[in-house]
Amino acid sequence: MNASTANQESLPTETLNQLLDRGLSTRARYGHVLVLLAATAMSIVVATLLVSEPNLPARTTIAFAVLLTIGLAWMVYSVWVLRNRWTLLAGHRVIAGIMAVVFSGVFTAGAASIGLTTGMTAAWLASFTGGLLLVTAVTVLVRARHFRSRLQARRAALECE
Amino acid sequence: MANDEKEPDHALELLVIRCQLGERAAFEALINQWSGLLLGHLRRVTGDINIAEDLAQDIWLGVIRGLGGLRDPAKFRPWLFGIAHRRLMDRFRDRYAAEFDPDMDMAGLVADTDSDRVRLRETLEADLGRLPLIEREALTLFHLEGLSLVETAAALDIPSGTVKSRLHRARTMLRNRLNNKENHA
Repeated sequence: MNASTANQESLPTETLNQLLDRGLSTRARYGHVLVLLAATAMSIVVATLLVSEPNLPARTTIAFAVLLTIGLAWMVYSVWVLRNRWTLLAGHRVIAGIMAVVFSGVFTAGAASIGLTTGMTAAWLASFTGGLLLVTAVTVLVRARHFRSRLQARRAALECE
Repeated sequence: MANDEKEPDHALELLVIRCQLGERAAFEALINQWSGLLLGHLRRVTGDINIAEDLAQDIWLGVIRGLGGLRDPAKFRPWLFGIAHRRLMDRFRDRYAAEFDPDMDMAGLVADTDSDRVRLRETLEADLGRLPLIEREALTLFHLEGLSLVETAAALDIPSGTVKSRLHRARTMLRNRLNNKENHA
């Protein structure tokens, strides 16, 4: 059965616009991207402190472990939402990639400057991990642009048929 | 019976790609094109127009939010009915969990003939509501919405063999009903 031959029972225009406004919301999408980036940064900071600070009291170690768990949980949750509930369209992916590059670049530079001025091991560790995050963000951005280009090329090919 | 090898629907693929590129007008066209079909399917499966309309809006919201994750735009149709299936399962969880009759003799099923298929289609709209929900949904997708066996399996997230079993059971129930009607006529 072809969709165009079925009886047309279109949604009322107002209902359609409400659905589109809700469903295409960029606030929810970019909001979860920011949550993911912030949770990642928090997890890196807490993990590097946990690993690099010697002779931490037990209570502090437990507190850091709990914070790390919370950070990781937020990361998993925001990835799940972006893959299943508020998926990113092609343009969203590119913007999310740019957000990730800027965020991780600032984080890495910040951690490195703290490491330079204070000599803290945790800061250097955070800077190194931030660098890995930056590489990942650049990869994500490149792939997002490639995906959008592929879709645009396929659209052009289909429009010519 | 629908073929598993279908002609690619390039117009649909183009529309879905335009949606994935963020064109709002493409979303409007996609929903307007498919809303009648989806609503008809939901109405046949649920037997209640109000529930069907409520579910349809929920499904469209899921489609708009989730279309970015559809890897193959050409597979929009089974993907759409897959979302519909999951919403139906959420709404009618108890009915989906009801056991089918394990004593039904699958080996004794009569093989399909052309005249069987014609008669079967004639009874579908009239007696569909009498089928259990699981068989009704499979039958509606395959015989009325025109999905292939592979597409129906993808939409319901079950193996093709299970789809065949459900279709056989559904056809047997409808066939028996039709025979009973004719005997009493």
